[in-house]
Amino acid sequence: MHELPIAAAIVEQAVQAAAAHGATRIETIEVEIGRRRQVVPEALQIAFAATSEGTIAEGARLEIVEIEMEAVCRVCGHRFKPEIDLYLCPRCEQADVRIVAGDDMILKSITAQTPEESASQEPRPA
Amino acid sequence: MKINVVENVLKANDAVAAANRRMLSDRRLLAVNLMSAPGSGKTTLLEKTIPALGEEYPCGVMVGDLQTTRDAERLGPYAVTTTQINTGTGCHLSATQVAEALPAFDLDRLAFLFIENVGNMVCPAQFDLGEHVKAILLSIPEGDDKVAKYPTLFQQADVVLLTKVDLLGILDYDLNRVRDDLARINTRAPFIQLSSKTGQGFDQWLAWLKQQRLEHTRA
Repeated sequence: MHELPIAAAIVEQAVQAAAAHGATRIETIEVEIGRRRQVVPEALQIAFAATSEGTIAEGARLEIVEIEMEAVCRVCGHRFKPEIDLYLCPRCEQADVRIVAGDDMILKSITAQTPEESASQEPRPA
Repeated sequence: MKINVVENVLKANDAVAAANRRMLSDRRLLAVNLMSAPGSGKTTLLEKTIPALGEEYPCGVMVGDLQTTRDAERLGPYAVTTTQINTGTGCHLSATQVAEALPAFDLDRLAFLFIENVGNMVCPAQFDLGEHVKAILLSIPEGDDKVAKYPTLFQQADVVLLTKVDLLGILDYDLNRVRDDLARINTRAPFIQLSSKTGQGFDQWLAWLKQQRLEHTRA
């Protein structure tokens, strides 16, 4: 259940970003999560609901985009897409890789409302 | 309004981990993150490793467990300093927990810091603590299918220690299955078969530790 500290970090960073722009309500949070991170989306959603409670992110929609893994072979330099259980380089057949994609968790963007936006009934384009 | 953020979610942990690593490297202190399932012999390995390294290589130990100070009590007689980190419900150690525990150690005096992570083959693999190397243990009684079942952990290993090899021949265990799985997941990490009971494999393990210290820390 390593989703809990991840969710807490997402909430903290999203709230900071919203506050920096004078927003008081977060509507959506977009995160990219590398496959190697072994995050279970359902578990992250539950953890997010729990950790966002009482913050301006409460009730926001968490959009999770999964990023495929890419690796560079440390032996021959070949770049390829490994599987979570297969890191064999198709060129030199060694399993000695540096993961270059699919290992990150990035808070990409949020949509949020300022008090003025919330007050107006006109829905605004995101 | 849409706000573009583009921030690493674990930047707080990663920044603390990098600071931990720098602090330890500067003192010629190699930090080893020991990870495995519960009961694979992490504590017993340290009970044998620390005396075998001898006075020339003083060791500190941080032990992570949900509850109890039992492991710290076991290792207390061997290490210069031992601290127990109780994680409560936490299933892994974090860089911040390590940073908070570091002031208890006289870092200038130590050659190795062993961080015995919470017994768990999933979550600890996701959190950089500021260690220099990751040692992954798997023991004969756990069965010969662990590498394939927990590939993310074994892919990150800098060394794979097969422990309790004195039980080979007593329990049914297919060593080739482990070798085959490692051949698909990690061919970089040395695969050392050892027994804390008989001492088998310790020469190789100790030589590896000393070599890593030379490579990863500053003279």
